[in-house]
Amino acid sequence: MSVAATPSAAAARVPHLDWPFLIASSLALAVLVALVVIDGQPAAAALLILGFALGAVFLKAEFSFTASWRRLIVRGQADGFLGGLLLIAIAAAAIVPVAALVPGFGGAIAPIGPSLIIGAFVFGIGMQLANGCGSGTLYTVGGGSGRMLLTLAFFIAGSVIGSLHLPAFLRLGGIDPVLVANYFGPWGGLAATWASLAVAALIGIAVAKRRGASIAPSPRIVFGAIAIGLLCIAVFAAGHHPWSVTFGFTVWGAKIATLFGADFSQAEFWQWAGPKRALGDSILSDTSSLTDLGMILGAMAAAAASAPFARNPWPPLKSLLAAAVGGLLMGWGARLGFGCNIGAFIGGVASGSLHGWVWFLAALPGCMIGIKLRPLFGLSRE
Amino acid sequence: MRLVYAIVLVTALTAIVVEHLNSPSGARPVSPEDFAGACAPCGAPCPSVQKK
Repeated sequence: MSVAATPSAAAARVPHLDWPFLIASSLALAVLVALVVIDGQPAAAALLILGFALGAVFLKAEFSFTASWRRLIVRGQADGFLGGLLLIAIAAAAIVPVAALVPGFGGAIAPIGPSLIIGAFVFGIGMQLANGCGSGTLYTVGGGSGRMLLTLAFFIAGSVIGSLHLPAFLRLGGIDPVLVANYFGPWGGLAATWASLAVAALIGIAVAKRRGASIAPSPRIVFGAIAIGLLCIAVFAAGHHPWSVTFGFTVWGAKIATLFGADFSQAEFWQWAGPKRALGDSILSDTSSLTDLGMILGAMAAAAASAPFARNPWPPLKSLLAAAVGGLLMGWGARLGFGCNIGAFIGGVASGSLHGWVWFLAALPGCMIGIKLRPLFGLSRE
Repeated sequence: MRLVYAIVLVTALTAIVVEHLNSPSGARPVSPEDFAGACAPCGAPCPSVQKK
């Protein structure tokens, strides 16, 4: 026997659209896309739109590297960690061979040395205090978290400070990037990358089994991993390099600092060709800025399409302090460690670059310390 | 919090549009890795080059 839905039940099924923010986020994307299309930059338009899609998917799938790593460390739960590895395996299928075979395309590479290790370690502490990494900060800011607005502001400040310190840390030494495709060829490199992911997955499963925790990722995590993995490939196709997040923050921060009179003409980092060009050009010419902006707007649209936007009260002061400290550490750490979970770990491993795994192994103990510090700021360890 | 978001959104969008209209932009978006000698996503040089 079927029962007719009561008016209140029917009302509960109707999405609570927040029209002002849904329209504002869509309109903002349209303005940015129009600006780059007028400039004859279809690739920039594609990156904005792909960023928008990433923001929406991250928010809807609640795909969080920070929380999944924390679940793995605290409870031994491997579901989110395995979802992250699936994402990388999908992205690697295109990035490793195309970066090796197609001129104009390149993987995410980085030198391996003290700067990478120190930066990743500090980033790991920061991401647990802030409760979000680079991508997590973007989609939660877009999703209406005032706390993460603070994290983003300090992330930006920290990354500018990191840009001033990076050259000195690079002088501590290190080795040139190690790319598996250079040793095994494009397809052998892809096989080696998948093998490394399989080993990591087996270790994750072993940890979960030993601690009696869950292993199988939920359908939501699997959907998120597949969708984000495919979007990573699309970003790679449009930008010719793997998706990265934090360089955009550094450029935004330096441009804001310049407005207030800062002079970067003597800063070594800002004399390197890429950063120098990025500081002088429009931010809509920088690949990571484009996906970052799109991601914030995409998450905002997705959040406003399903519930009243940004209605939560401000969190306690201690939590805001953790957001600020975490953001600052992540920004500094991301610059020294050549990126965040996206640019260094996902991008690095999906490119078959050894630095991606080194970044992960250095960030993990940082996360453990960050988790221990969370109660100091009134945050739970779980 | 909604008011803060509204202010941030309008201010940021205005700043981006003004900055874009007053800055050069190339034929396609670039990453620091596109430039010769870049050894990292931020455009840092390789250690082997730095030692020279």
